[in-house]
Amino acid sequence: MILEDYLERNARLYPDKTAVVCGTETCSYLQLYERSQARAADYAQRRRHVVLFRASQTIDFLVTYFAIHIAGAVAAPLEKDTPQELLDEMAKDIEAIEVPEGIADVLFTTGTTGRSKGVMISHRTIVADAENLIAGQGFSQELAFIINGPLNHIGSLSKTFPVILQGATLIILDGMRDFAQFFQALDYPAPKMATFFVPANVRMLIQFGADKLASYAEKLDFIECGGAPLPHADMLELCRLLPKTRLYNTYASTETGIVSTYNYNDGRCIAGCLGRTMPHSRIIITAEGHIACQGDTLMSGYLGEPELTAQVLRNDTVYMSDLGSIDEEGMLHIGGRQDDVINVGGYKVAPTEVEDAALLLTSVKDCICISTPHPITGNALKLLLVMADGQALNKRQIALHLKQRLELYKVPMLYEQVEHIERTYNGKLNRKFYRQS
Amino acid sequence: MIVKREIRTLLEDLLPLVDFDSDFLFAELNSLDVTTILMALADKYGIHLEAVDATPKNLKTLDSIVAMVERKLQEP
Repeated sequence: MILEDYLERNARLYPDKTAVVCGTETCSYLQLYERSQARAADYAQRRRHVVLFRASQTIDFLVTYFAIHIAGAVAAPLEKDTPQELLDEMAKDIEAIEVPEGIADVLFTTGTTGRSKGVMISHRTIVADAENLIAGQGFSQELAFIINGPLNHIGSLSKTFPVILQGATLIILDGMRDFAQFFQALDYPAPKMATFFVPANVRMLIQFGADKLASYAEKLDFIECGGAPLPHADMLELCRLLPKTRLYNTYASTETGIVSTYNYNDGRCIAGCLGRTMPHSRIIITAEGHIACQGDTLMSGYLGEPELTAQVLRNDTVYMSDLGSIDEEGMLHIGGRQDDVINVGGYKVAPTEVEDAALLLTSVKDCICISTPHPITGNALKLLLVMADGQALNKRQIALHLKQRLELYKVPMLYEQVEHIERTYNGKLNRKFYRQS
Repeated sequence: MIVKREIRTLLEDLLPLVDFDSDFLFAELNSLDVTTILMALADKYGIHLEAVDATPKNLKTLDSIVAMVERKLQEP
């Protein structure tokens, strides 16, 4: 069975059950299925071909997503602010590619190799992710799950899978900028509520909404945190605010799917622990100390990139850049990364992409994109720039230039003019120097 | 009285992509921008801001942000 078979089953068994809520709009399982079925006709000619579309935080996004699958096409949701130029370029590159049978999605990520590429996800993987989350975190039919992150990102998209499998309810929010809306969503009349946060969301709520969050302690069944490591102080504070809520740290990525999870509200609150593997997954630690994953949740490869795929996926195993260990209880503990990719609030960014875009400006002579501590996101992108002779740094101008060429999460928050950029003896950017300083 | 220019300079430096002349400022902001604004204003003016202050009305324009800060400064 694929995800849409479960949708069809729910439309039959619980036609009037609310499947999705978004603002003032609601959609029952029957309505969601019928709308998706009707929309599928739009994609009938795209079977086994990729359909690119901008992700929106709407019910219509789900209708499109399911419709593409029903038509046998492949859904490739992009950032909602993807520049048109970039979208056209991508469409041209993948227009003619016929993807292997059984592929459901292509999710674009910087991922483990530091280059933006399309990760192919199969229908089998989607169901395995759903079953992992149901077994590992207890998604149930009486649950209403709040999605507040972008639906093109595996962190949020993957939560729609167990919701549909279980016939639960999804509440879609357009981000967390309107805190009041988030708390209103928690008032939804369901016996149990749950949500997914990146660390920045947790920090924001602790900083500006701790008491209000604590007032939902009885109703919040669980919260999953993912995307990037949650600071231990924030883990402890969440445990204090929500003593009865299951609080999960999860190991997941677009390439590996949802692999392991740990309820840190267990009285021990172990920092860096990502728990035991879920039913469809296995983890091994390589001789070099890297995490490698096996099982049904793995990607099928990178779209049109067999060589890149072979670097990461070999012998039914995805090899990650993350360092890790497994303790005597069989729980995964994560170390750092051994590459140049910067994780900003759950988004992976290859610094070279930012630097290449910045260097297109004639006013920029040299630059390097680095990671710097940030009170909300844990770390943020910072662009150090050597300006051309006679040119002064204009942050806004550079930020706008980058926004025209990159997805928004790749545009640095911080900018600093410097005299020179450190390079190695052979002229390469000395990233190690900036990581240490 | 809070100087509007002072708040503009403070926020533009932190959020270079945001157009603080917009009449629909809140629509341009993401959750990180909203939090950055709350943190910066709380630090700079020593005021107590909470999640419930981050409403579309309070963050509609730069003028409404200035008005919110002035209101908070008058609170006992």
